[in-house]
Amino acid sequence: MKDQSTHVLVIEDNPGDADLVRLRLVEGKSAADVSCVSRLSDGLDSLKQKSPSVILLDLNLPDSQGAETFRKVLEKAPNVPVVILSGQDDEDLAMKALHQSVQDYLVKGAFSSSSLDRAMRYAVERQGLLRSLEMSRKQQLEFKNQFLSHVSHELRTPLTCIHQFTSILLDGLAGDVSPEQRDHLKTILKSVNQLGAMVRDLLEASRVESGKIRIESRCVAIGNLVRQAVAMMQPIAREKEVGLEVGVDTRVPFVYGDPARILQVLINLIENGIKFTPVGGAVTVRACLVQTDPDFVYISVADTGCGIAPEARALVFERLYQDPNSVDNSRKGLGLGLFIAKELVSLHGGRIWVASEPGQGSTFSFTLPLYSLAKLLFPVVTYQEKLREDIVLVRVSLRAPTKPVRASWKETCHRCLEVLQRCVYLDKDLVLPPMTSAGADETFLVVASTDLERAEIMMTRIREQLGRVDGLDGTGEFQVSALEVSLPDPGANSSLQDQVQEVACIVGEMVRTVLGREVGFHRTVRPVRDKL
Amino acid sequence: MTNSKIMIVDDDPDLRQALRLRLRANHYDTVNAVDGYSAIALAYKEHPDLIILDLGLPAGDGFVVLDRLQKDDKLSTIPVIVLTARDPQSSERRALQAGAAAFFQKPADNTELLDVIRASLSHSVSGSVLPS
Repeated sequence: MKDQSTHVLVIEDNPGDADLVRLRLVEGKSAADVSCVSRLSDGLDSLKQKSPSVILLDLNLPDSQGAETFRKVLEKAPNVPVVILSGQDDEDLAMKALHQSVQDYLVKGAFSSSSLDRAMRYAVERQGLLRSLEMSRKQQLEFKNQFLSHVSHELRTPLTCIHQFTSILLDGLAGDVSPEQRDHLKTILKSVNQLGAMVRDLLEASRVESGKIRIESRCVAIGNLVRQAVAMMQPIAREKEVGLEVGVDTRVPFVYGDPARILQVLINLIENGIKFTPVGGAVTVRACLVQTDPDFVYISVADTGCGIAPEARALVFERLYQDPNSVDNSRKGLGLGLFIAKELVSLHGGRIWVASEPGQGSTFSFTLPLYSLAKLLFPVVTYQEKLREDIVLVRVSLRAPTKPVRASWKETCHRCLEVLQRCVYLDKDLVLPPMTSAGADETFLVVASTDLERAEIMMTRIREQLGRVDGLDGTGEFQVSALEVSLPDPGANSSLQDQVQEVACIVGEMVRTVLGREVGFHRTVRPVRDKL
Repeated sequence: MTNSKIMIVDDDPDLRQALRLRLRANHYDTVNAVDGYSAIALAYKEHPDLIILDLGLPAGDGFVVLDRLQKDDKLSTIPVIVLTARDPQSSERRALQAGAAAFFQKPADNTELLDVIRASLSHSVSGSVLPS
């Protein structure tokens, strides 16, 4: 600690104790630069200005007590080593702090300058060590991902070759094939497809693990998605002579999620169900609402298979888990499907679990959050625990091009959505998820927590950036318009939640009106770019 | 009526052959290019009706080819279908933004691929409105 740049921050409210620490520091000639503050808030403020080499922290301060104190410091300065200055009576607490990445503690009045010096030096060293460990862990994870991505890419080319030529033979493009040869070729093709799925799962699992999966949530009709998944899996079920049925409650509302990812979860679960169900059995996919949990839709995949032993139930979602007692003669696969499904569901904010009795079949269930306008609007229409006075609805209409362009229209719409998300304050304004799946013209709505004047600035930005989107610049057209909405006076007794719910009803009604007819919007602006 | 001409761009000779067999069986004429440079040169010379393009190519990867095609008035109307071993998560959007009409990961489903080829050809020939 002889380094001239050493800076010690002492957060201690007792002047006597602070002086003593300062004295010990001077005696030890250890610190070139000591600053003392007596309140936690002052300490946290000074962390913003300059990061110290080490923090000496008293736990009981005028504005913070006990465990809360080191929790706040660690949150603000996770990379700075902390040594706690504890009283005789709170050594237990100091011990607890050590388990939460505090580096050391000293009992006040019972340490010498050399022990203080040593505690600080070791704290700095240990913290540095931890940081480099964490860095190498991240590097290893990154390396593993790159490796898997490379391997799966390289495996795909020979895999494609086998796939292509097998199907060329099967389709008789290279001459006649005998029935026996045809059977063998079908077996090859099936195995190649399994291999392809494993390569895909490997990459997917590593991506899930390292948080590289993007969830692009929107408003999703879950019933349609379930039916789509079932239709996709029907040929496989038929081949194995397993029934595959759908039971979707017609009242199931929209969910808020990424349709491609939800489909992936459904397919994983259905595939799994078919695999473990014997000939003549059935797999049933249901979606329903549960009264006790009104914010979620429940989706379940039930099979009439062999069931799962109680001790294995918690393990089936672990990566690489395979049932050791499986008597199933089909191939096991990598054991990544349920792991990927679990991770995808939790990225949506849902839960996944399994209920099963050995011999009685299994039911895998997961939940997805309902598409609730009130929930999405909450941060937009409230300010400091109160309802705002007004908000602005900004509408962006895109007109599909009338002559063909190379880039697809769907892609252009997606780019526009990205532009909108860049133009608004993400934590304050809400870009409503697109409701239409495919269509010529697309309309986006932004609920902005601002007044009309400021909304103009946002709209100018949107127009500028939309003008640069490929597919809109030459052939498409767009309009940006705004409407100010005064929010109702909050009732004296209604809770903030109820008030937001009421606003959601109003906004929901407006959205319906706006998307249905051209009413209510003023200041309609023609496209900013003249066509050449 | 003459057959439509499809240019296959792939550096793997076996994959080129497989694709050629498949396309000929469906009454398409094919020409081959093995790298980015020859793909662009051949596109000028042969002016194919459609291009099936791999992304990982020597001498100018698939994105370079897409960019060059897009910038040329005569070639920019040729529909390009990307067929690659690369991962859709990292490449699909980029390819579509660069002007590709469709993206397939290898191994692609033959029926689907042929459907998209047929649809792309009919649009580029008639110049009709894109499907909704």
